[in-house]
Amino acid sequence: MSPYSSDEVVATRVWDHSLFLRLLAFVKPHKKLFIQSFLILAALLALELTGPWVWRRALDGPIAASKAAGVVDTAPFVQSLLGWVAVYLVVIFIEIGFRYLEVAQIARTGQAVIHDLRRQLFLHMQRLDLTFFDKQPTGSLVTRVTSDVEYLNEMFTSGVVVLFFDMLKVVVIIGILFLLQWKLALTVTLTTPLLIGISIAFRGGARRAHRVVRSRLAALNGYLQEILSGIRVVQVFRREQRTSERFHEYLDGYFDANRRTIFLFALFYPSMSLAVYVIQGAALWIAVGLSLTGEVTFGLFLQFWFYLALLVRPIRELGERYNVLQSAFASAERIFQVLDTQPTVRSPETPRVIARGSGTPGHVRFEHVSFAYVEGKPVLEDVSFEIPPGTTVALVGATGAGKSTLVNLLLRFYDPTSGSISIDGVDIRELETGELRRRFGLVLQEDYLFAGTVRDNLVMDRPEVDADSLEEALETSRANVLIERLQGGLESEVAERGATFSTGERQLLAMARALAGRPDIIVLDEATASVDSATEARIEQATRSLLAGRSGLVVAHRLSTIRRANQILVMHKGRLRERGTHSELLAEGGLYARLYAMQFEVQDGAAEAV
Amino acid sequence: MRLLWQFFQRFLRFKRPLTLGILCIPLAQLADIGVTLTIGSAIDGLEGATDRGFLVGLLALLAILALVHSVFRYFQRWLIVVVSRRFEVELKQDLFDKLTSLSFDFHNKSRSGDIVSRLTSDVENLRMFLGPGLMYSLGAVVIVPISIGLLFTMEPALALTMVLPMVLMGLAMKAFSPQLHRYSVAVQESLADISHRAQENFAGIRVVKGYNREDQQARLFGETSETNRVNQIRLASVRGKTHAAIHLANNLTFVAILVIGGMGLVDRNLTNGDLLIFIDLTFKVFWPLIALGWIAGMAPRALASAQRVDELLRTESDIQEPRVPDPRDTFEGALELEGVGYTYAGAERPALSGVDLTIPAGSTVGIVGPTGSGKSTLLNLIGRLFDAEGEIRLDGVPIRNLRLPALRGALGYVPQDSFLFSETYADNIRFGADEDLDEPELRRLIDRACMTEEVAEFPQDIETLIGERGVSLSGGQRQRTCIARALARDPRILVLDDCLSAVDTETERRLIAHLREEGESRTVILAAHRLNTVRDSDQILVLDENGAVEDLGTHDELVQKDGWYGRTWAQQQRQEELSEL
Repeated sequence: MSPYSSDEVVATRVWDHSLFLRLLAFVKPHKKLFIQSFLILAALLALELTGPWVWRRALDGPIAASKAAGVVDTAPFVQSLLGWVAVYLVVIFIEIGFRYLEVAQIARTGQAVIHDLRRQLFLHMQRLDLTFFDKQPTGSLVTRVTSDVEYLNEMFTSGVVVLFFDMLKVVVIIGILFLLQWKLALTVTLTTPLLIGISIAFRGGARRAHRVVRSRLAALNGYLQEILSGIRVVQVFRREQRTSERFHEYLDGYFDANRRTIFLFALFYPSMSLAVYVIQGAALWIAVGLSLTGEVTFGLFLQFWFYLALLVRPIRELGERYNVLQSAFASAERIFQVLDTQPTVRSPETPRVIARGSGTPGHVRFEHVSFAYVEGKPVLEDVSFEIPPGTTVALVGATGAGKSTLVNLLLRFYDPTSGSISIDGVDIRELETGELRRRFGLVLQEDYLFAGTVRDNLVMDRPEVDADSLEEALETSRANVLIERLQGGLESEVAERGATFSTGERQLLAMARALAGRPDIIVLDEATASVDSATEARIEQATRSLLAGRSGLVVAHRLSTIRRANQILVMHKGRLRERGTHSELLAEGGLYARLYAMQFEVQDGAAEAV
Repeated sequence: MRLLWQFFQRFLRFKRPLTLGILCIPLAQLADIGVTLTIGSAIDGLEGATDRGFLVGLLALLAILALVHSVFRYFQRWLIVVVSRRFEVELKQDLFDKLTSLSFDFHNKSRSGDIVSRLTSDVENLRMFLGPGLMYSLGAVVIVPISIGLLFTMEPALALTMVLPMVLMGLAMKAFSPQLHRYSVAVQESLADISHRAQENFAGIRVVKGYNREDQQARLFGETSETNRVNQIRLASVRGKTHAAIHLANNLTFVAILVIGGMGLVDRNLTNGDLLIFIDLTFKVFWPLIALGWIAGMAPRALASAQRVDELLRTESDIQEPRVPDPRDTFEGALELEGVGYTYAGAERPALSGVDLTIPAGSTVGIVGPTGSGKSTLLNLIGRLFDAEGEIRLDGVPIRNLRLPALRGALGYVPQDSFLFSETYADNIRFGADEDLDEPELRRLIDRACMTEEVAEFPQDIETLIGERGVSLSGGQRQRTCIARALARDPRILVLDDCLSAVDTETERRLIAHLREEGESRTVILAAHRLNTVRDSDQILVLDENGAVEDLGTHDELVQKDGWYGRTWAQQQRQEELSEL
């Protein structure tokens, strides 16, 4: 049995033209940066080629002349030599300037592109349907805007730009070699395929070997993780020895895979240098022959020698660049998959506009609404009800009865599979989504506080929230007591996900947040977690003020909220089973009466067992 | 540094391959220098030659030297890097064995991410430093002095000027390293911020959408991304400077060669071959020097990793074997608990306190109470996963005096999280048994756990893989499999931690009947949320939310009283009724 997964053998494409064309669209706005990069790299290439030329001029000029002149005064030759040294110094100082520019400019270019891409990708993801977020774990969504984007950075910089220049360098150098001395160049050209061949053969092997190493390392770490989480079982069953042996097997597999890559690398570098020696030997043989006939001078030979060294590096790195390209294309594919996903919940082309003022508290109507997250598995079936302006509807029912789904549909996080939802007689699908959601005051069960100050979290950048409405909201929601307790008041920073606040306090803040927007309709998903009695009292009061004079849809867990509701809807397995006021439903002696007895009669045990 | 030395000694255990590998380094380097010298001679041989005859011998020499260089270079890398991987594997094994020996308390306290990173990135840092690091630095240590010495014999002035750029390079690296460090930390942090922002938004997407915050959040995200962009560019700028400094040093060496070598040629005290040797040696010294800088930069990280790995290796389990163990290893299964309690490290109040309980051999005891009342803690104390306050005795012997394997060998434990391994179904059950189980016995256990029908539907029957790469079991199936695993060791004491919560009512009835048969000869300790599970126990211990004993009695006694048990019983009965609607 192999403990390793099948990704040891999967391969992705190295070059995907259509993907590349799409990626080019992100390059366009930064054309200038790319052109600058190319110019810098071109200048650098020219400078790299100039140095050896100076050597040749110095050697074949003053030095050769001094030799030919025999024993005479050497001063003029030295002076001329020093002239070339001065030229050389100028060249290398300009060159190191460009070395700096090369690194800085490539980073600037790559970062500009991926910064754009990252923002655009994020904005796009934010606008996608909730179904998109339901389907994938948050961790893998985060990967899209982090490591996948990083890979693309590699692609734009060391992948495309540098690869292009490396190839250009190889071609230009070989071209110049031909111009300098075609016979010498021919030997080099005939032997360089050896280098390229080794580099490419190695790349293939190394990639496969690396993939095996990676997947075995993942298996090894997976086993470690598993044992750590099951350590109790291991210890109680006294299986330390057995797990140790298992771990050893994983280590063995990992070690074997590593030996393969070590072997490949151990082979690669020496064979590369051997190939270089072969080229050097061949060049030497030809050069000596040519210099005997006077066709090659020492200066020319030296220039050649320098160029050979320049030629080897890009070829050696060819394989690595190739692998970068490959992983970048895999990331690009994942990114475009996200970018190609379109939200189905969209604002209409010409949205209806309803005048909104204090006079319209919002009349909500659900008509024959059905909904399924997964086709064939309806979570809501044929639900119809109405929230007359200024009244509260409480949703009651067991977990999974469809209460939260109703809330999600009203906010248009999803669209119903059939049926319709309207506010003040207008189907919510005819409204601009932003305009629709602006009418709601939303308080969620696991309400979320974002990084930033308390004020940021209350205002949420809404233009309709001003100092007055904020103060009013804080007072109504009783959250002002909370704020007073904070050292920095409203300007205090919220710790990671509001960890500084208890569940109850977070709910109070969420209520303040909802109220600050002076909403028409309250959507409240009450928290189930138990809170201390002082906070409980405050939440109860806040809930009352929140709902007073507004239309409200409440997923209710608090008895006080349910009792005060104008209408109670009892949901059971996606259907609306009973409706009425508290006393009506109790008298009916149906589902509600039983639920009520179970949930609220024995307050203590109930929270535990449900 | 002493610590690093300590790990280096572990590394030195692989004497033979390491010695051979290290020997290869100077041989490879000398052959490499030999190649350069040969080429130099070839150039000089040209002086006054009329044909290429002189070259044949030199090229043959060059070929031999090149081959020798390649062979030694191959063995150098192969031997040393393989040793480094062996070192890695052995260190990981030692760490792993240490981890499985450490008490549950230790695992409770430490974050598993931290432990994993010690076994992965810390070990890797050490390996890189001791393996490839050693190889490259020895390479530099060999070639640099030899090259400079060689230059000194040829042209002392050149040798001296060659040292200068090297010093310059070292100084530049040293000058830039604080900045490099600062900006890489900044880049890392801003990347973490990006990831954090994204995480926050995707997890809180309902609030984001409900408040029309998409654009604003995207703007905030953009700002974070912008910070990262700026940091990346700053880092690149320092990198660029370092890069330029290295090239400057290298180029200045060439300038020195041009000046001094050129003058030497004019003055006739140097030859063309000498000049080529100077140039070629400069090429060959350049990369080892850069590698040396890279290794120096690695040292602080390796040291920090050494500390973290060493710390883990030195940790001792706080559950110790008794000094004078009781020799017993078979038991009747009678348990006595006297004033038993436990407080978790860092907790303000005890999770469990003052539990007195006598469990006769072969009897069944149920443990119930609200969440957080210490039921699981109590069960863990019996297996000495923690050491309890008060005393627990097995057959009259304090469990602290028993050998750990003997004590745990008597227990069949079914954990609350019904933890299974990603192995085959059969292996998961075999895990419980001390000896290998034959197939009929395996089938019998599966039948006891009411899993026969489900296992028959698995693609590869009992050899089917469990977990992500195989079939994923439902909560109830996992729980039942855990029961089969516990029964596999034919334990004197069966410890069941709320192991029927996800099993449907019908199966639960059958399972309880099976357990009762199995339990006739065993002591059974059964923690449960669903009171139905424990109603037939000989005695039921009720814990309150502070971990203290609220009541003790049989089902019939407890249900009469107006306590937690009575109320919860009534409420659960109603709930069951409701779910059957």
